[in-house]
Amino acid sequence: MLIRIQGGRVVDPTANRDAVGDVWVEDGRIVPPSERQPDQTLDATGCVVMAGGVEVHSHIAGGNVITSRLLLPELYVSEAAPEGHPFAHAGGAAGWIGATYARMGYTTAVEPAMPPVQALATQLELADIPLLDRGALTVMGNDDQLLQILRDGEGKAAVRDLVALNVATSRGLGVKCINAGGASAFKDGALRLSLDDEIPCYGLSTRKIMGALLDAVEEIGVPHPLHVHCNNLGLPGADDSFVATLDAAEGRRIHFAHAQFYAYGVVDPENPMTGGFRSAARRITDAVMANPNATLDIGQVVFGQTVTVSLDILRQFGGRKGAKPKKWVLNAGDAEGGGVVPFLYRPKGPVSSLQWAIGLEIMLLSGDPERTILTTDHPNGGPFTQYPRIIHLLMSKEERDREIAALPGVVAERSDLATLEREYTLSEIAQLTRSGPAKLLGLTDRGHLRAGGRADIAVYRDDPDRTAMFTAAKYVLKDGDVIVRDGEVVSWRQGKSLSLTVESDKAMERRTESYLQDRYGQGLDSFTVPDAAFAAKGPVFEDVACRA
Amino acid sequence: MAAWVKGGATDADGAVTAAAAILSAARTPVFAGLNAEVAAISAAYRLAGRIGASVDSLGGDATYAELGALSRVGAMTTTPAEVIGRADAVLVVGDAPLKTPLLETLRATQPSRGRAAGAARAVHHLAAGASLPVAIAHLRAHARGHLDSDPALLTIARALAGALYGAVLYEPGEVGAPGIEMLQGLVMDLNEATRCFTLPLSGADQDRAALQVAAWTTGQAIRTGFGRRVPEHDPWRFDAGRLAASGEADAALWLASLPAPAPAWLSGLPSVALVCGEADPGAAEVVIQVGEPGREVGGVLWNAGRAALTYRAPAAPAERPSAAAIIERIAAAVVERDAARKDS
Repeated sequence: MLIRIQGGRVVDPTANRDAVGDVWVEDGRIVPPSERQPDQTLDATGCVVMAGGVEVHSHIAGGNVITSRLLLPELYVSEAAPEGHPFAHAGGAAGWIGATYARMGYTTAVEPAMPPVQALATQLELADIPLLDRGALTVMGNDDQLLQILRDGEGKAAVRDLVALNVATSRGLGVKCINAGGASAFKDGALRLSLDDEIPCYGLSTRKIMGALLDAVEEIGVPHPLHVHCNNLGLPGADDSFVATLDAAEGRRIHFAHAQFYAYGVVDPENPMTGGFRSAARRITDAVMANPNATLDIGQVVFGQTVTVSLDILRQFGGRKGAKPKKWVLNAGDAEGGGVVPFLYRPKGPVSSLQWAIGLEIMLLSGDPERTILTTDHPNGGPFTQYPRIIHLLMSKEERDREIAALPGVVAERSDLATLEREYTLSEIAQLTRSGPAKLLGLTDRGHLRAGGRADIAVYRDDPDRTAMFTAAKYVLKDGDVIVRDGEVVSWRQGKSLSLTVESDKAMERRTESYLQDRYGQGLDSFTVPDAAFAAKGPVFEDVACRA
Repeated sequence: MAAWVKGGATDADGAVTAAAAILSAARTPVFAGLNAEVAAISAAYRLAGRIGASVDSLGGDATYAELGALSRVGAMTTTPAEVIGRADAVLVVGDAPLKTPLLETLRATQPSRGRAAGAARAVHHLAAGASLPVAIAHLRAHARGHLDSDPALLTIARALAGALYGAVLYEPGEVGAPGIEMLQGLVMDLNEATRCFTLPLSGADQDRAALQVAAWTTGQAIRTGFGRRVPEHDPWRFDAGRLAASGEADAALWLASLPAPAPAWLSGLPSVALVCGEADPGAAEVVIQVGEPGREVGGVLWNAGRAALTYRAPAAPAERPSAAAIIERIAAAVVERDAARKDS
């Protein structure tokens, strides 16, 4: 079917395109303008046409997310179901996640934290998210098998083979490390860990583990760079950890998750932990801009009740006493573990106001929005449903001033936000939410509107109220099908789970089989994510190739 | 496929039609058991959402003892493999864990990973006695130094405080919500100075699988009702046994593609049973024999040894329909009936 999206302002920074025009779609792909009569015309007059949004870091599936629902059953509100999907309005559920992203014009979302031992459950949950393509990053860096290989100095090939095997077994889209060595250290009594601190029982450091994973990701040719959650998240002085980690990458590709939570400079060097923090947004942004190998996503804070979920058990243990309401779950799981700590970003609270300002500051200071991607680290900084509001603040100095005026003075004293005049253009928003994240994931078929691209397209009514504009798209197309019309889901199609095509080494398979048998009394076949487990759903996975 | 309606053998179509008739005519249907593979549990939630049923599970009481404490105070937990690999002190709370293979393994091995590697492993026991929650409270008081009158409790408290990695095993149904809450408080206290985690033992049912499916499907735990077209979670209201006993339920679907004894109340109301093995044709008004996951058909099941979901291929494939396929057929028949009703 030939579709013409007619007369909208087409914004595609990858083609330097920002002008009124048409976008043509056929058989799920964007095609050059056609002489033929379209089978369907979508009127985009007065609208902005962009590629579908791409999410790189949002906790939408997995053990921690499940636990958060059980710990805080009251966090989300459920509403009556619409026709077509019984659970699309079940607050926080998979159906709701898919529907809410789609209404905002997002068509791809990645869960950033899938421990290999929990891969099947995570992938089953992701497969139940309708409308979107989805994927997950395989987490490594705390598992005993990897740490043993590193401790024994086995070299790069062994690490590469183990990482490849884990990605293949869990069907990940990329590799992440979360406070590498931190969960292991926590179980052995540590309460803090920095880049070069020794990890008990292994004689390793975060630097060594992360360096090995950086190499492995390059050798395997994973399109997405190693996705790194650094040490010391959220602590004053975390900017030092961030910059040290960037230096430790030594030019290798690296992605920093939720950078806002590290942009905290120490105020009082005499009392670093008690003297509070000030914005280090400029330091973080300058460092990343000076290193073209690096990217970051924000982890923007928004005000209100949320729940923090993280495999960084060391950090979650450290933050447990700040839980609000006062209850929390820490699971010292196999390898990674995890923590779920409810949290209230107090509206108008000095600390949360400063955090809010820092996230915006990083984006506004960025010289390259494609490398400073919008996330709230859902739900850690707040829910992803706040993206439209954040976009509004980026695009309007007036809107920011209005919000800042209602916040405590610390925002002006400890950050430069109020002095920043920049207003994001629509092209820059597209870089921040479309082309940047798609490039980062190595998904060349999306994030743009060029011919040959996947027909994942969002059409928004151009409205000075950017919050309203980006909350409910006029049309959203996924693979060329109209799934959203006037802000409501009209077609409940299923997307695909994107997984990397990785060959695993037979010798490493045998070795891992024996390791797992020894540890669990069960082998690799109990860790796999076979197609048969999804039989009732039809084909679920779509292959993504490694870099040549 | 074997199927029966009111005790008489029938074919698949007849049984599915009869099941759809029972469920779509009901005002307050309940789904219970959920002792099944993930695909079947998932299909059951979708059908419940469509017809406005409520859902409960085989291990509901134990599961809700755990969830009650979890949603009040949280938890510090670990996995069987971590306890085996790391724990130098194990406390068995209550008597249920004493009979488990895990405890045999723990007695026969010593920690091999982490800072306690190579140390001896001590296993302590807090007996059920008259009141387990009170015993746990006394233990916590001894651990905090508020009491020192009971030498046995003092020994356990000191052992956990002195351990490098303590593990506390319990069975949620035996301990109950107040006891679990107290136990989690004890473990949280201990973590001020060392590492200690609880390991709630899962039952022989599939509740741990059902809990995950429920949470990602509805945003809530298992006992969720859809009578008002909104998922409403209520552990008391949607207790299937209570709904049947009070007469609120007017139809039931029993899902047990893994062996489980059907509840006595099932025969007291119009009901559909999806069961494995040698089915009792009189167990419900409609009885449909389905494939047992991991044996006759493939399916994803809770894997207690790994504390994770695992796909189990059929060990002895048999020509039996999966429970998920039957539920999908019932759902399709319900849709047809609804459409016919609207047209008439």
